[in-house]
Amino acid sequence: MVEANLQQQINAQLFEKLGLAYFCVDLSMTIIDVSDNVTNYGYHDIVIGAVVDDCVDFMLGLDAKTELDLPMVESPSGIPVSVSLIPSDACLTVLIVNASVQAAQRQLLQQKANENELLVEQQEKLLYQLEQASQQLERKNYQLEEASRLQTSFLSGVSHEFRTPLTSIIGYTSLVEQSLGEQAHQGDGSLIAQEANNKAGHLRAVQRSSKHLLSLVENLLDHGKLDSNEIVLRPKATDLVELFEDVELLLRPLSDTKNINFISKLQLGESATVVIDDSRLRQCLINLVGNAIKFTDHGSVSLAAELRDDFLFVVIDDTGAGISPEDLKKIRLPFWQAADTGKVGTGLGLTITERIIELTGGDLEISSVLGKSTQVTFQIPAPILTDQVSPEISSSALIEVEMSVLLVEDDHDISGLMLMLLGERGIKVTHVDNGALALVALRSSTFDLVLMDIHMPVMTGYEALAALQKTNNSTPVVIMSASAVETDRIKAESLGCYDYLVKPVDIDDVIAMIGHVANGVQDELN
Amino acid sequence: MQKKKICMVGDFSVGKTSLTQKFVNNVFSDKYLTTIGVKIDTAIVNDTKLIVWDVAGRDSLSPINASYLVGASGVVLVADGTRASTVSGLVDIWQTVEKRIGIVPVVVAMNKADLEDWHIDDESRAFFEKQAWDIFPTSAKVGDNVEKVFKKLVERIQSQDN
Repeated sequence: MVEANLQQQINAQLFEKLGLAYFCVDLSMTIIDVSDNVTNYGYHDIVIGAVVDDCVDFMLGLDAKTELDLPMVESPSGIPVSVSLIPSDACLTVLIVNASVQAAQRQLLQQKANENELLVEQQEKLLYQLEQASQQLERKNYQLEEASRLQTSFLSGVSHEFRTPLTSIIGYTSLVEQSLGEQAHQGDGSLIAQEANNKAGHLRAVQRSSKHLLSLVENLLDHGKLDSNEIVLRPKATDLVELFEDVELLLRPLSDTKNINFISKLQLGESATVVIDDSRLRQCLINLVGNAIKFTDHGSVSLAAELRDDFLFVVIDDTGAGISPEDLKKIRLPFWQAADTGKVGTGLGLTITERIIELTGGDLEISSVLGKSTQVTFQIPAPILTDQVSPEISSSALIEVEMSVLLVEDDHDISGLMLMLLGERGIKVTHVDNGALALVALRSSTFDLVLMDIHMPVMTGYEALAALQKTNNSTPVVIMSASAVETDRIKAESLGCYDYLVKPVDIDDVIAMIGHVANGVQDELN
Repeated sequence: MQKKKICMVGDFSVGKTSLTQKFVNNVFSDKYLTTIGVKIDTAIVNDTKLIVWDVAGRDSLSPINASYLVGASGVVLVADGTRASTVSGLVDIWQTVEKRIGIVPVVVAMNKADLEDWHIDDESRAFFEKQAWDIFPTSAKVGDNVEKVFKKLVERIQSQDN
């Protein structure tokens, strides 16, 4: 038995310090006993004789037989309490203990834990969204790449289809024009000579239109290739003086036709051989100077070039219509053309030029005063060639040995033209119209050079090149293709072609190429 | 007036306390304060005094304390429609309820319907429909469907009693 004094101390500890309160109900759930301190928790209605459901909310639905622990129940006073239901035979004792300390501690920990978990969930959700967005972006990117590839393929196809007939048109009209020119010259003033002269003029118009059509196709193709990063620069030793003179020779007739002065100011030094992609520089100059002439009706167009510190500086000035500040902002956009100028074009020339200049690592600037003048300047890296290599053999190189060429071409207009042009220069040409026949010809005869198309029936140029690689035949094969797509050139080169010429080929380039090979043959003979 | 005990159950931070407070006191707070143990509130619906037990939510460390469910006449299963795991988690929570107190009337409150990414996945929806539970898109913030949830549960409890 606990002494009364001790019992009092225990009670004091339990009821006052730990806040223990209690009430008891009989089996009919009527209050039969209650401690005074239940009111500390806001349970003011617990009185002996009352039905427990009416005065304690947490007792609703419970019975007198079930043992139950209800931790941290918020009491009517707001103090969290832990409730224990202890059944016995005759009654149910309900103990209520102050749980505010545990609840506060738990609150602190649980709040942090839950907030952290929410953050993690949020992070996971964002990562998932990011992943989804990234996948969507990848899909879009793929679609764009695919669209770009299809566009390039389409443009390449169109370009190919246009180049082949244009090769014939330009080549044959040139031949007929040359012949008419001779007639006009020989007839000297006669009616026939006049007529021949007129016809030659008509043919020159056809040629101009054909060349214009070709340049439009080339611009479209270049634009597509620049878009899909397919243009690769091919720097090589280039005589800048010769290149600028060529451009001037090409464009001066245009300025003469419009009665405007063409002024050329070149400061290129004596040994202006630099390593540069000559065809792209030529393209840029023709585009920019051509534009200047096109938009100038009075005054002059000047082309100035200076070679300094391994850079080529070019300035093109004109006294033309000028460009408004608003239009200057849009002028570099593809397909943009100034309204009401009455000038035709694709609106791609400047875009392509600027992109090519960027590709070389250079930059282009345009300034203009509307109604007065425009100045276009650009600079590109042009390292001066220090170890002077032998200059390329020009078209005028003499072919001193008898050359035998195998021409592999399915388009009979083009093969007819080539047979005529090469024959005129004393070159022996054998013609077949597909790759398979070329292989047969190469097995039975010896040739100094093969000029071969790519797209042919029965066996393509690629297939023929691949088959040749497997034999010990080392005859150089020069591809003449209407496809100007870089991947086609790379494929042909990987299959061992000697060089790759794009149709319409300049007969002088072909002769120069044959000259290269002829020199090799000559060296061997010596 | 008859009295009925109902329990609000679901994962942590789905809005059980917010729904209860909106219904009982018409208040809403954006601040998240986790419930420890259980809070008990009362409200009158259709001549029935509801004793609403707002039970601490389930989290990754602690399950729902099933002792709180004893004596309940019905439950409101609450999920956060912007957190998919809390929606699918109702299946497990229901199993806890059923195991402790058997099959009781249920309504589902798919809370936070005012938010943009609120969504019920097809699998969870199919499960709720199979149980023939009423599903309410609720928003404790703007009050959408809050009263309907409690009224529907009382109706279900009353029809079961009858």
